Amino acid sequence: MSTVRRTPLERQYALIGSLLIAPTVLIFCAVIVYPLVSAVYLSLFQVFTPTLEGSWVGLENYRTLLGKNEFWSSLWTNIVWTVGTLTLQIICGVGMALVLHQNIWFRSIARSLILFPYFVSTVVAVLVWKWVFNDLYGILNHLMIVAGLIDFPVDYLGSMPNAMISVILVGAWKYFPFVVIAVLARLQTIPDALYEAARIDGAGPIASFWDVTLPQLREVLVVIIMLRAIWDFKEFDLIYLLTGGGPVTSTQTLPLLVYKEAFKLNQMGMASAYAVVMMAIMLVFMVIYIRRTRSEDDT
Amino acid sequence: MAEVVFKDIVKSFGSFTAVHGLNLTIAEGEFVSLLGPSGCGKTTTLRMLAGLDFPTSGSISIGNRVVNDVAPGERDIAMVFQSYALYPHMTVYDNIAYPLKKRGVRKADRAPMVQKTADLLQLTELLRRKPRQLSGGQQQRVALGRALVRDPKVFLLDEPLSNLDAKLRGYMRVELVELHRRLGRTMVYVTHDQLEAMTMSDRIAVMEGGKLQQFAPPNEVYREPANRFVAGFIGTPAMNLIDGTLANEAGAWRFASPGITLTCPPLTDDAVSGPACLGVRPEDVLLGEGPIRGQVQVVEQTGHENIVVVKIADGIRLTGRAGADHVWRPGETIQCAVDVSKAHVFAAGPSGQRLNRPLTKDQPRLAKEGA
Repeated sequence: MSTVRRTPLERQYALIGSLLIAPTVLIFCAVIVYPLVSAVYLSLFQVFTPTLEGSWVGLENYRTLLGKNEFWSSLWTNIVWTVGTLTLQIICGVGMALVLHQNIWFRSIARSLILFPYFVSTVVAVLVWKWVFNDLYGILNHLMIVAGLIDFPVDYLGSMPNAMISVILVGAWKYFPFVVIAVLARLQTIPDALYEAARIDGAGPIASFWDVTLPQLREVLVVIIMLRAIWDFKEFDLIYLLTGGGPVTSTQTLPLLVYKEAFKLNQMGMASAYAVVMMAIMLVFMVIYIRRTRSEDDT
Repeated sequence: MAEVVFKDIVKSFGSFTAVHGLNLTIAEGEFVSLLGPSGCGKTTTLRMLAGLDFPTSGSISIGNRVVNDVAPGERDIAMVFQSYALYPHMTVYDNIAYPLKKRGVRKADRAPMVQKTADLLQLTELLRRKPRQLSGGQQQRVALGRALVRDPKVFLLDEPLSNLDAKLRGYMRVELVELHRRLGRTMVYVTHDQLEAMTMSDRIAVMEGGKLQQFAPPNEVYREPANRFVAGFIGTPAMNLIDGTLANEAGAWRFASPGITLTCPPLTDDAVSGPACLGVRPEDVLLGEGPIRGQVQVVEQTGHENIVVVKIADGIRLTGRAGADHVWRPGETIQCAVDVSKAHVFAAGPSGQRLNRPLTKDQPRLAKEGA
């Protein structure tokens, strides 16, 4: 076995490199590693939130949560929300990106306006949507009655499945601009020559989409889906502000359950256990994402 | 019939006119190069023929059919792009088969056609590979294969060799000429490389500023350039173009500029006394003897010859070719002459017309002449 001897210059470069990344590593440890380890540690205790004092219970919190119906129903709600809103985000996002990629006269202004939902504060967005959905004075009910589609106002946020559909729709509205921007950025890098070659080869607009555009978008779509799946899975503020998890617990996802356990029931240990389980589920997405990006780097 | 006819073609992009009233007829089975510098309108012309751009006015016909309003896929043309434009997610096989698929050729019928094309272009071993796994030359052959597979009436080639290294470019030039000979199809080739145009084409359409400057066989474009632009654009090293004055002295035209005075070859009736331009190819400059006296400025050694730049007056230089065995030294005084029988006279201006009478086979060689 041969050992690689570093020259003094190489050692000097290595030292400078280490010093330069040290602040980042320290901050990373403080804001990521410590809370993570702390959550796992807390999940092994029964902790009263206001005092953060409690007793060691080992894996009891995990045994309890796996036996609770509320956990499983929240997990299912979480999956329904994530799949529902993500599907809509992708369909609307790709569709809108394709429209904005065309040479249309309002393209520049539309590209700016489309970002509006993504940039607007969640609180503001939810207030507006609550007004739109309100069953007494909401504009949606008013317009639908005027159009003759319904005879009586519909309770969009206080009944199921309307509440889940509403939450999914607002989530899609709020986050689809991210998909638009990412897809649009990729669309702009697809060489025009590919479309021109397809036209000469006899492909129409639809065939061009399936044979040129979509295959070129595949890589970026995988990354978008993974990132948005992670972000949507842990979405809290939008759902909490819109329905509070209700009616009853119909739209209560795991993050809302964690919040309830931690700050309403004051069970920080249990809440940490939920959070750790959530993290484990998201780890699957993260592993796929990391593997995907790594394989892209390799090619 | 796959004759290609451009009739009064104008193409404007807003206030900018890229092609001005182009009239060009390309015979069936002919290999024609559209040659010119960047921005001359050659690629726009090809794109209009492909149906990727539309003429502002005028008509384009392929095989007696006006195709102005015909979609690219229905023009029975195939195009090889400068970037090859291979579908990156498809294998070589799928790339070649794609035009067949889009034309509704059954899967079972596609296989032998793709195989035949792959055999022709020596791509058989590569059929399962993706474009990114191929070298530039291989990608270029796949692009050709995609064009060849459905046997179109007209092949359009948009600078297909420009991304290849010099050695491969030379090889592919021969391959393309051989392919054209074998297929006998009309080919329209866009290039800014005069060597490609000269070596491959039956005829060259030289364009500049959106206008057709000359449309003639390579030899004629070289020997009888229609105007000063063509004269300067064709040939490496470029033709010596010397501004001076033309005067008629007792029926004979004399050209004079600082450092050089000579009797012109026979000129047409368009010749008038006044400013004019003398054009002399470097191979028609005789170095080492003659009445023109100058000073060697630069010597470029190419191995098989030396290219010598001689200053004959302030701002006037003559470039000549010399054998590799005699190395001239910069600063050396040198005598030289020009072969007047092969000299060209152009009217004044950047696109001044050539004023020489057309060459005939038996035209006598005149004696070398100079100051």
